[in-house]
Amino acid sequence: MGLVTRKNLFAIMGLCAMVGLLLLPIVMALPSPAIGEEAPAADAEKKEGDKVEKGRDVYYKTEGIVMGAPAPKTVDGPRDYPRYNFESRVLLWFANQQHLYYGSFVLAVPIFCMIIEFMGVVTKDKALAKRYDQLAYDFIKISLTAYSLTAVLGGILIFTFLTLYPAFFGYLSGIFRPVMHIYALMFVAESGTLYIYYYGWDKMKEGFLKWIHLSMSVVLNIIGTLLMFLANSWIGFMMSPAGVDEQGRFLGNIWHVIHTALWNPLNLHRILGNMAFGGGVVAAYAAYKFLASKTDEDRAHYDWMGYIAMALGVAFLIPLPFAGYWLMREVYAYRQQMGITLMGGLLAWLFIIQATMIGILFLSTNYYLWQAMGRMRGAEKYQRYIKYLVFLLACGYMVFITPHTMVMTPAELKAMGGQQHPVLGNYGVMSAKNGGINVIITTTVLSFVWYMRGNKVSTVSWAKFGNIFMGVFFACAYINIIGLAVYGYYIPANVRVGLSVPQVATTLSCLFFMFALNGVMMKGAKQMGPIEWGKISARSQYALIMLATAFTWMMGLMGYIRSSVRLFWHVNEIMRDNSPWAYTHTVGFAANMISFNVLFFWVSILFVFWLGSLAAKKAPVEAKAGVPGAVPQPAASH
Amino acid sequence: MKALMSLGALVGVLGLLLLGGMIFDVVPSNTVRLVEGYMPMQMLIEVGCYVAGFAGLSYMLSAMGMPMPRFWQGIGFWLFFMLYLKFRVYPPIPFSVRAMYGTVSMVAVFMWISASEEDWKKFKQPIMNVLDAQTGMNKMMRYLYLVLIPILVGGFSYNAMVPKSEEPVELRTVHPAPPASTKVHGKTYVLQTSQSPYRVNPEGKYDQEYSNANIVEQGMGRLMKPNANPWDDKNQGYLKYVKEGGEIFFQNCHFCHGDNLNGRGLHAFAFNPIPANFTDPGTIAQLQETFIFWRVSKGGIGLPNEGFPWASVMPPWEQHLTVDEIWKVILFEYWHTGYYPRTWD
Repeated sequence: MGLVTRKNLFAIMGLCAMVGLLLLPIVMALPSPAIGEEAPAADAEKKEGDKVEKGRDVYYKTEGIVMGAPAPKTVDGPRDYPRYNFESRVLLWFANQQHLYYGSFVLAVPIFCMIIEFMGVVTKDKALAKRYDQLAYDFIKISLTAYSLTAVLGGILIFTFLTLYPAFFGYLSGIFRPVMHIYALMFVAESGTLYIYYYGWDKMKEGFLKWIHLSMSVVLNIIGTLLMFLANSWIGFMMSPAGVDEQGRFLGNIWHVIHTALWNPLNLHRILGNMAFGGGVVAAYAAYKFLASKTDEDRAHYDWMGYIAMALGVAFLIPLPFAGYWLMREVYAYRQQMGITLMGGLLAWLFIIQATMIGILFLSTNYYLWQAMGRMRGAEKYQRYIKYLVFLLACGYMVFITPHTMVMTPAELKAMGGQQHPVLGNYGVMSAKNGGINVIITTTVLSFVWYMRGNKVSTVSWAKFGNIFMGVFFACAYINIIGLAVYGYYIPANVRVGLSVPQVATTLSCLFFMFALNGVMMKGAKQMGPIEWGKISARSQYALIMLATAFTWMMGLMGYIRSSVRLFWHVNEIMRDNSPWAYTHTVGFAANMISFNVLFFWVSILFVFWLGSLAAKKAPVEAKAGVPGAVPQPAASH
Repeated sequence: MKALMSLGALVGVLGLLLLGGMIFDVVPSNTVRLVEGYMPMQMLIEVGCYVAGFAGLSYMLSAMGMPMPRFWQGIGFWLFFMLYLKFRVYPPIPFSVRAMYGTVSMVAVFMWISASEEDWKKFKQPIMNVLDAQTGMNKMMRYLYLVLIPILVGGFSYNAMVPKSEEPVELRTVHPAPPASTKVHGKTYVLQTSQSPYRVNPEGKYDQEYSNANIVEQGMGRLMKPNANPWDDKNQGYLKYVKEGGEIFFQNCHFCHGDNLNGRGLHAFAFNPIPANFTDPGTIAQLQETFIFWRVSKGGIGLPNEGFPWASVMPPWEQHLTVDEIWKVILFEYWHTGYYPRTWD
């Protein structure tokens, strides 16, 4: 007992230390506004008569005392743009993208761990709890090696900036000096917390200690999320600068510099994106292990792992298009020309590729779920209706990817009689596309509902009414989504933008109400047979790999689009890019570069997985206990 | 159920016959007209009817003891869809879009025929039979494929590589991003905040809701709203300006942009691409009024870098029209098409 108490005490101290680490940067940051806002005022009072130069914030339109140097006016040459005999931008692109991939992965996986560990703690079935716990442990193990690689890539990225873009990086670090220091400190806090969390897993396995361990994961994720927010403030500043005057001089308010027009939408979009990406990568890992498995037991474990990772990834994928929509809305609100360059102008074709990728994600998810129904006895009844879901998905997808600006030969243009096709041109605008993507997501929700009730027959007395209600609800949802998409053509654009709200609300209503209703209907349902984990088709696992690859490709693409929209600016409208590479790459070059980044990431992450498997081979036998499909084992006690 | 399926089968057969007629040019593509304004939904509904028809046809064939093999169902549906896009939809769809749709439909067919293990086996069976070549017929087919596939691949490669006299594909940016501001007749207009001085209510204040209430009706016919006839001499304010804009339009713009503002004027087909079709929801309906002001003022030569390959012969109208005339002609274009300029609030 005494030992346990001491353990508890140490654990609480550890948790307090983490919270302290979390608060440390905030405490350190507190004097910063004081320096930024009050100190100069005091100085100003002292030096009465001295002229204090004031500037006007380019975004907030407030006045502030000039506290920094103007943005450098760079010239092409070795001073501002030292280079190898190679395009510096491409080198930076590569370093940045790899760091972002790994960064996203190591930020997402601990969130999964937190969720899964929590599920393990609250579940009453001990065998299941142990399985969840083991799964969370497997997840964090995968991310640990990736974590060091993230730090290494971060170092490479900074060196690349310093050596190839010294003037730009000097300016950025001059503005963000306190933020960068806080970032570095938080990285230390993140590392410390992660290692305690990982190595303390076995020591804090049960009872009160388990809750402490779980709390550590919460702290870990808060630190990770704040880290990402800080990094986002840099890219937010580059796209939509604030807190500086027209010459780029810092006006003393660091919060204005961080809290730019696009910071919040970027934060939300990246959290969801990271989660979906992390889920995809873990699902692909599970798929790879499933395909390479030699025993039924292993196949069952990795089938289950793949399913959980996919479900978590997709749970964050579903709201992702809506977060993206908000981001784009804010971009348009910030600068109309930026929005048009993105979605109607120079980069519009990349958005069509993005739409294609989003479609692939949802199609892969649906396909996986249909395949997964194959390992349930009783799910056959849904098979004959799948063709109608395919029809809905394909129609939604085709509308979603129809380009507004079509690629055609001059002869085709002439035959068509104009730039806009009278039929397909209507699919190329936002109203139709909103309808398309909402139909796709609603169909995905329907596939999930079918999956959840695949091997079950509801036993509640109102089952028939419930089924009819669900059917009518989905039918009404489709009618509403498509009806609003059509109605969007008859109203002003600003009202049309607002139509996305009821469309999204319809989709989310299907998600929440139908999941909840299905859950109630299936409570105590008659089981037609168990889920035969491990007996899923190989095709389903390729769908998971496809899902992960599409995520990776899409992340690379969207990062490129977001960065390219600044066109020839390092910092939009403040600091001009005068390097020889201040032009937008062709779509083909960008696609090749993204593919190279994706390929490099997957090859390197396979190496990380391999390292992880080496560690697993040395792990004690106890750590491998509790695979699904095996006879449930009672939880081991310490 | 059987009656419903029979009806579906009938629809399927009729649809196939109709499409067959269109392919062999016996029946014109516009026998069943694609109605302007309803075309996009009409096309989706038509494809939906075909799907229902094929489901009915498949059911009936099975009921008659002549089930269609899954392999041919999959291949047949994909071929049908490609032919539908090629021969039914008019004007012709560019190849790039048909290729996109073709790929999506191929993926969709794959998802359908491999959704369950049983279906997937059925689909694979004919392919496996040819590969295994247990019968003389299959052996012959295998040899045939051995010869045909490389010839086809070679043919496609040759066709792709052979130099063509056709002009290359252009990835044209139809609506390039506008500048933040534009200078016309010595005055600078900020595109994000400028407003048309003629979009006003009877009190003379800028009022888009008022002008929106007086534009022609959307949909077929584009009828004028009651008491909103710009050619009524008693009009003052907004409707009077619309009329003045109309006069400017018919003196200067309609030769290219057409009487109906659909880009099919007298000289339209002398240009490639033909002038913008304002009745299309993808043109002025998508844009702020100030965007149009910028484009009309600066014309084709004023297109920014992003407007590559600058394929526009529109004159810079600031050299021929006053600022007021430009605003009025834009007012008329929105009034006539029944669209509203884009706003961001």
